[in-house]
Amino acid sequence: MTRVASENEIVDYVRAARESRTPFEIVAAGTRRGAGRPMGKLPVLDVAGVSGIVEYQPEELIVTARPGTGLAELKAVLAQKNQCLGFDPVDWTLFGGAPDFSKNGTLGGAVSADASGSGRLRHGPPRDSLLGFRAVNGFGEAFRGGAKVVKNVTGFDLPKLMCGAFGTLAVMSELTFRVYPRPSARTTLILRGQAPEAGFAALRAIWKSALEPSGLAYIPGAADFPGLGDVGEGAALIRLEAAARPLQEKIAAARLLVGPAEELEAGETVFARVGEGSLFRDNDLDVWRVTVPPTQAARVAKAINAALWWGDWAGGLLWIGAREEDAPRIRALAAQAGGHAMLLRAPAARRAALGLYAPQPPALAAVTASVRAAFDPLGLFNPGRF
Amino acid sequence: MLLAPSDPKILARRDSIVAALKKIVPDGVVEASSDLAAYESDALPSYRQKPLAAVLPRDADQVARIIRFANEAGVPIVPRGAGTSLSGGALPRGDGILMGFGRMSRILEIDYENRCVTLQPGVTNAAITRAVEGEGFYYAPDPSSQIACTIGGNIAENSGGLHCLKYGLTTNNLLGVKFVLPDGQMITLGGKAPGAGGLDLLGLITGSEGLLGVVVEATVRILRKAPVTRTMLASFDSVPDAGACVAAIIGDGIVPAAMEFMDRATIGAVESFNAPGYPDAEAILIIDADGVEADVADAMARIAIHVKACRGELREATETLARAKMWAGRKAAFAAMGKLAPDMICMDGTIPRHALPRVLEGIADLSKKHGLGCCNVFHAGDGNLHPLINFDAMKDGELAVAEEFGADILRLCVAVGGVLTGEHGVGIEKRDLMTEMFSTADLDQQHRVKCAFDSGGLFNPGKVFPTLSACIESGHMHVHGAKLPHPDLPRF
Repeated sequence: MTRVASENEIVDYVRAARESRTPFEIVAAGTRRGAGRPMGKLPVLDVAGVSGIVEYQPEELIVTARPGTGLAELKAVLAQKNQCLGFDPVDWTLFGGAPDFSKNGTLGGAVSADASGSGRLRHGPPRDSLLGFRAVNGFGEAFRGGAKVVKNVTGFDLPKLMCGAFGTLAVMSELTFRVYPRPSARTTLILRGQAPEAGFAALRAIWKSALEPSGLAYIPGAADFPGLGDVGEGAALIRLEAAARPLQEKIAAARLLVGPAEELEAGETVFARVGEGSLFRDNDLDVWRVTVPPTQAARVAKAINAALWWGDWAGGLLWIGAREEDAPRIRALAAQAGGHAMLLRAPAARRAALGLYAPQPPALAAVTASVRAAFDPLGLFNPGRF
Repeated sequence: MLLAPSDPKILARRDSIVAALKKIVPDGVVEASSDLAAYESDALPSYRQKPLAAVLPRDADQVARIIRFANEAGVPIVPRGAGTSLSGGALPRGDGILMGFGRMSRILEIDYENRCVTLQPGVTNAAITRAVEGEGFYYAPDPSSQIACTIGGNIAENSGGLHCLKYGLTTNNLLGVKFVLPDGQMITLGGKAPGAGGLDLLGLITGSEGLLGVVVEATVRILRKAPVTRTMLASFDSVPDAGACVAAIIGDGIVPAAMEFMDRATIGAVESFNAPGYPDAEAILIIDADGVEADVADAMARIAIHVKACRGELREATETLARAKMWAGRKAAFAAMGKLAPDMICMDGTIPRHALPRVLEGIADLSKKHGLGCCNVFHAGDGNLHPLINFDAMKDGELAVAEEFGADILRLCVAVGGVLTGEHGVGIEKRDLMTEMFSTADLDQQHRVKCAFDSGGLFNPGKVFPTLSACIESGHMHVHGAKLPHPDLPRF
C-alpha cells in the first residue's frame, strides 16, 4: 500500500504506474470497497491523506475540500455556518462487516459512489452539487474540470463524470461543491396502515406539491423497521423542512394532501437508516438499489417480491434485499420499467458475474469505453470495478 | 476572430451533397443562396456565413441518416435550434451542413405523476411551461430568449436564466435524452428513473455546445408553481453597499428565487426606454421570494433587515401587476441599450460575488481605456455578470474595439477566480479566451473527451476549443482519408 498526501504525490505515483503498466486500486476510508466487481489483488493507493478543507466561503455558497476529508468533519464545519451539502452524503453501513468500517467515510468516496441519502430529493445527487475538481488522469497529468463558482458553462462539464465513476476515470485531488442553507426546522410525518400502492401515491402527492420535501420514503410493515411502531401494511414517511413558523404551514398543507399524518419523533434516525441501508447489516441478503420511475415503485416492488425492501426518493429508489436466484428477475424488471438495478452488496463471485450495473447496449457501451480511455487509456484506475 | 476558410474540395461536391440530403429529407433541404441567408448567423450577428446547405429533418431516423451520410462524406455538421445563441454556437460553416430542428417540435408526453415532459428538441422553452401550467406546473430554466429558444439548444448550451440559483440550470432539470452520436448511432441516456446506471454521459453532453452529437428527444423535470411569489426592489447609494447586501442575504441562508442587480447606467437606460419608475440610485436589486406564504413572509422580513443594514431603500410588490412593473425594466435592459448605441455585445462572465465592487470598478476603467460605454446587469445570486458593451458597428474598427473590451472584461473575471461564461456558452465568441481559464492539460483532457465522441471532428468544428489538433489516442493519430481533419483551420 502506498500512502499519498498531495496532488504532486498522486502525479508521481500515477506516472510510475503508467511507466510499469501496473493498475491499482484507489482507496480512502475503504467503507465502500465492497461495492462493484472484485478487482483481484492489486497494489493499493491510499488517498485518505489527501484531505482537509481548502477554502470555505459561506457567503459564496461554496466549499472546496480534498477528497480524503471525512464526511463527518465537513458536515460539522458547514453546520457551524448553518449550511450543508445538498446531496445528503451517506455512509452505507450495510457493509458492516468490512474491516475498515470503524473509519468514517470520505467525501471522495461518497462522490465516486454517487452515495446520496433521502435528502437527494430536494437538492439532487452529487452531480448537482459538484462544481469543480482537480484530479490526476491516466497520463499522469494534473488537470481541473469545472470551476469554483456556482454558475459556469465554460468547456465540457467534466465534474458530472466524476460522480458515480467509482474511481475509474481519474484520481481526484480537490473537490468544490455548492452548499445549501441548513433549514432551521425539520420534521417527519408518518402515515400508517398504507399498502404499497396507496403509500407511494401519498408520497407522490407531496412530491408533486410545492412543499419541497427533503425525504419521501415508504416502509412496508413486513420490514419490521425500528423506530416506527406498528405500521400495519406499511408506512409513508414525509420529511419537511423550513424555518420554524413556515414549517407549521407546510405540515398543515401536507395533511390536506394526504390525510391525518402524525409527527414522528424518531424521524431523523429512521431517515438515516433508510439512506444508509443499515437494516441489511445483520443479514447476508444480496443488496440492490433499483431505480424506477416513481409511479412504477409499487408494481416493481411487488413483482420482485423481496424478503426485505423499502422505497425512497418518492418511489424513485427501491432498496431490495434478495436471494441469488432473484438477480435476473430484478435486472429484467428494472430494465422494463426504464430504470437501473445496481448490485451494491453480494459475495465476490456474484459481483464478478453480475457487475455493478447490467451490461449497456453496444453503442452506449462503446462510447462509455471511449470516454474512459480519454481519461485512463491504460486502464490503471480501479480496473474492471465498474 | 477569423472564420475558418471553407474546404474547396467539399464545396466542389456541393451538388452531390445536396442530392444525398434530398434523398433523406425530400421536402426539407434548403439550397438557394437567398434562402440560406436565414441561417447565416445566430444571435451573435457580428459573424455571418452561409452554410453549404441546410437540412430540416422531421424525425430521429432522418437525423441519424443525415449524420451517417455526413460522416461518410466527411462533411461538417452544425446543429441549430432557434438560432438564439449569444456566443455563435449555431454559426454555420461555409463547407458544412446546417441541421435545423424547427420541424421536430412536438411534445410527446406529459407525465404529471412522474413530474416530467418528453419532447422533441425543436419545442421552445416557453412552450413546455405553457403545456403544463394549466395543472399548476412549470419548467424552471428560463433563459431570456425563452419564447424563441428550443430545448435542444438549451441542452446544447446548458442554458440558465433568472432563477438558476434556486432552481438550477438546464443540466439540473434534464432527466434524459435520446442522442445521436457522430457515427449515426442512437443512444438513450437517463430517463424517468433517477440515476445514470453508468457514467453520467447525460451530464457531459449537456452544455457540450453541439460538439458531441445531437439530441433527438428529451425528458425534462417539471415543478409545481410556488403558491406565493413576492418581489422587492432595493436601491443603494453605492455599489459596495448593494454587494454587501447580496452577501448578507445569501449568508443568512436565504435563497431568493431571483436576485438581479442593475447599475446606474442600466437604470438610466431603462428609465428612458420604458420608464419602470426605478429610483435614482447607484445600484438596485430586484428580488423575488417564492414558496408557501409563511416561507415568503419570513424571507421578505429578513431581507428587509439586511437591506436596511446596508443603507438601502426598499419597495415591495405583492400584486401581479406591480411585480410585473418592477421587473419590466430589468427584462427590457438589453432592448434599452438601443437607446444608447446602435449595437451591443452582451458578455457573460461569472465571478465570486465578493469581487463585484472590484470587477465593476475594473470595468469602468476598461470603459475609459477603450472609449466605449458599458452597462452592467448581474444575476447577483449566482454571480453571473452581464456587462453590455455599447458600440456602433458602422464606425470603422469599433466592433474590434468592443470585442477587445469584452475580452478584457472576461480576463478580469478569470483573474478574480471567475469563469468566461455562466450561461451563454463559449461558442466562437470566447473560443480564443479558453487558455485564459484552462491550462494545456485541462484543455487536452477536454479535447480527448471530444475525440471519444467525434474522432473525425465533424461536429460543430471551430467552436469552444482554441486549437484543433487531430485526435490522438495511445500515441496513434486518427487519420481520416489520409489527411488530418480540417487542415484548413488555423492552428495556434
